[in-house]
Amino acid sequence: MAATVEQVAEAMFQLVKETHGKKSLKAMDLTKAMIEKFGEAECNKDLCKQAIRQLMDSGRCIYSYFGGSFITLPPDQA
Amino acid sequence: MSEKRATPLLDELEKGPWPSFVKELKKSADTPAVNDLLGQLERSYEEKIGHWKHGGLVGVMGYGGGVIGRYSDLQAEFPECAEFHTLRINQPAGWFYTSDALRTIADIWERHGSGLTNMHGSTGDIILLGAKTQALEPIFAELTAAGFDLGGSGSDMRTPSCCVGQARCEWACYDTMGACYDFTQTYQDELHRPAFPYKYKLKFAGCPNDCVASVARSDMAFIGTWRDDIKVDNEGVRAAAAGGVDIQKEICDMCPTRCMAWDGSTLAIDNSNCVKCMHCINVLPKAVKPGDDRGAAILIGAKAPIVGGALLSSVFVPFIKMEPPYEDLKELISRIWDLWAEHGKNRERVGEFIQRIGLGNFLEQIGLDPVPEMISAPRSNPYIFFGDEVSEGGQA
Amino acid sequence: MSATKRLTDIGPPHYEKFLPPVVKKNYGQWDHHEILKQGVMVHVAKSGDKIFTVRAATPRLLNIATLRDFATLADTYCGGHLRFTSRNNVEFLLTDPANIEPLIADLTKSGYPVGGLGNAISNIVHTQGWVHCHSAATDASGVVKSIMDELYPHFVDMKLPGKLRIAFACCLNMCGAVHCSDIAVLGVHTRAPKIDHTSVPKMCEIPSVVASCPTGAVRPASVGGAQSVEIIEEQCMYCGNCFTVCPAMKINNAKTDGISIWVGGKVSNARSEPKFSKLAVPFLPNNPPRWPEVVGWVKKLVELYAENARKHERMGEWIERIGWPRFFQLSGIPFSKYHIDDFKHAGETFKRSVQIRQV
Repeated sequence: MAATVEQVAEAMFQLVKETHGKKSLKAMDLTKAMIEKFGEAECNKDLCKQAIRQLMDSGRCIYSYFGGSFITLPPDQA
Repeated sequence: MSEKRATPLLDELEKGPWPSFVKELKKSADTPAVNDLLGQLERSYEEKIGHWKHGGLVGVMGYGGGVIGRYSDLQAEFPECAEFHTLRINQPAGWFYTSDALRTIADIWERHGSGLTNMHGSTGDIILLGAKTQALEPIFAELTAAGFDLGGSGSDMRTPSCCVGQARCEWACYDTMGACYDFTQTYQDELHRPAFPYKYKLKFAGCPNDCVASVARSDMAFIGTWRDDIKVDNEGVRAAAAGGVDIQKEICDMCPTRCMAWDGSTLAIDNSNCVKCMHCINVLPKAVKPGDDRGAAILIGAKAPIVGGALLSSVFVPFIKMEPPYEDLKELISRIWDLWAEHGKNRERVGEFIQRIGLGNFLEQIGLDPVPEMISAPRSNPYIFFGDEVSEGGQA
Repeated sequence: MSATKRLTDIGPPHYEKFLPPVVKKNYGQWDHHEILKQGVMVHVAKSGDKIFTVRAATPRLLNIATLRDFATLADTYCGGHLRFTSRNNVEFLLTDPANIEPLIADLTKSGYPVGGLGNAISNIVHTQGWVHCHSAATDASGVVKSIMDELYPHFVDMKLPGKLRIAFACCLNMCGAVHCSDIAVLGVHTRAPKIDHTSVPKMCEIPSVVASCPTGAVRPASVGGAQSVEIIEEQCMYCGNCFTVCPAMKINNAKTDGISIWVGGKVSNARSEPKFSKLAVPFLPNNPPRWPEVVGWVKKLVELYAENARKHERMGEWIERIGWPRFFQLSGIPFSKYHIDDFKHAGETFKRSVQIRQV
């Protein structure tokens, strides 16, 4: 049984929160971390893409740009 | 609004025969944001330094591209342009407009922003210059309702662009506008949601004249070319000669492979040695034309200097027919993106990535065979990373 | 989720909606074209249909009032159809040749000169400069305006040996294809960034700043007990990449920023292969509002090319034919150590033969 978009999104969100202010994460950093966490059988790039989209469309995360695009918390939640 | 800013230095740039950007700015001098922009720009002219700061957190909801945050570093003095963000609007392919379309954009921008634009930005987008943060969502809503969408910025596929192509050019070897539109629509997610190490630009040029400078600035350039013989109308050549073109000197002697001969009445071409440079066609547009078996060469890896030095793109696919739905090409692109996205470093363009891992390895990874058209010469350096198959397999 | 109701990812409008009927009818069926006079060309389709183009310069930075003026002109003369070019010109697309001269008169009266075709200088492609950029070493629009006021005759005439493409970028990020232009004007920083050590820990990730430097000149350092970075100044070539990644590495400098001029690049494959522009003038001061030093050198280089190149030769082809020593002799640009590359692959530009002209 593969991981759900919601599960992956939640795990991504926690990772963004934990690393906030310490390390900026790009979409691929999150993707690699999730595939490692859930395992290749449970999670793949497509699922991660959907999870990122859910985080963005719900406003839980935003994109930032400082010499590269990163995924971060909105300023009022940081 | 605050008092009208004095701009004695900028006023100098209202003079002279060339169109003046200062006049363009002053057409909106009654708009508070533009009045303060004029004041801040005058200050830059006095002090010889810019007064803008990065802004990395603004955008429209859900998108990571299309808005460039910009803040004044003199906000107390020029509060009306304290927030002065850029929106990139994906241009219609070939930059064709109707008067109504231009007015639609002007009206939206008048309601929500400074009224200043660039037609167009370097990558090709319509640029709206000077929006406050709170205006971004309303602008986006109005633009999408009018059928426009944002372009790219940051680590995403940037807004693809193309030359005028078959809409108004007889040299276009494929439908550049059609391809540009098709790829743009296919990759909306990659355009709006940055997931790459850095930017990735696609440009579509209809012939080797490369009017969109794709060879110099796109990660992937589709440059039109042809495989069969150049079409020569000797009557047209004789007419050009009679009209003053020195066929020997201006055509034959300037051909890079010297594959042409002129005896005063017939232009003979050794087509097996023609490299499709376009020179003779450019000089004799009525008499000499590209062949009929048309397609494109695909080049990869151009970029400006930042970070690891400037690169021109290099040949990747010497010839391919450019026909919708471009399935082979999209398959190729997804293999490139998969590899580069996974292994590229932050701010590493695909050209730099290829230099780092080696073109040979890159080709092997994405499953493309090396061909001699990809190089100007084979290596002269004997430091070769041999694979086991050479000695084990007993190959030459 | 309310957000999903928003209209997103619709992409640009389909270009077909904006094409003039004559273009739709003859799409992909054009036969040839001809420049009728500077700024005016006709494309003839296999069907015999014709479309006339009138090209006019714009300053790229355009007010919406101007867009509306262009729209009105398009309605009056072109059935509402126009386009823009990759070099920021506007093109009006006509089917009735009787409308050409009245349109040109209106454009000229409004201050948008008609020209830029064939063996001439087309519009300068350029960047934002002090109008809108955070890393600009100079203004863009002002320098471009000053240069084109001087080179205006070459936009409205066709007296050059070949095409001459000028591009301008206000820093090494080079938004646009500046590095492959006949003449490239490029803003440069000449001093290492000034580090705001109190902001570094707040605004920047130190490993990213260190990694951003192409020459390894940035390294972690403890300053006053706080984590920050330091710059090995001898290794810094002022690219500003660290500033892009970390706003606390301020690179802009009013006293030492300026402009360099590069020559001989091209993107077209005609005759010779595409090539980079090469350094001609390493540094000129920022001298607003008219940048006389920059304008003077660009004008001199254009005149030199106009006098010496053969018909159809681009600037780089001319210089390669006569050799760089003669170019420096003719131009009077003092050759210096700055002209010799010292970045990666620098040796590729060293002369490895004794085929040397006596200049």
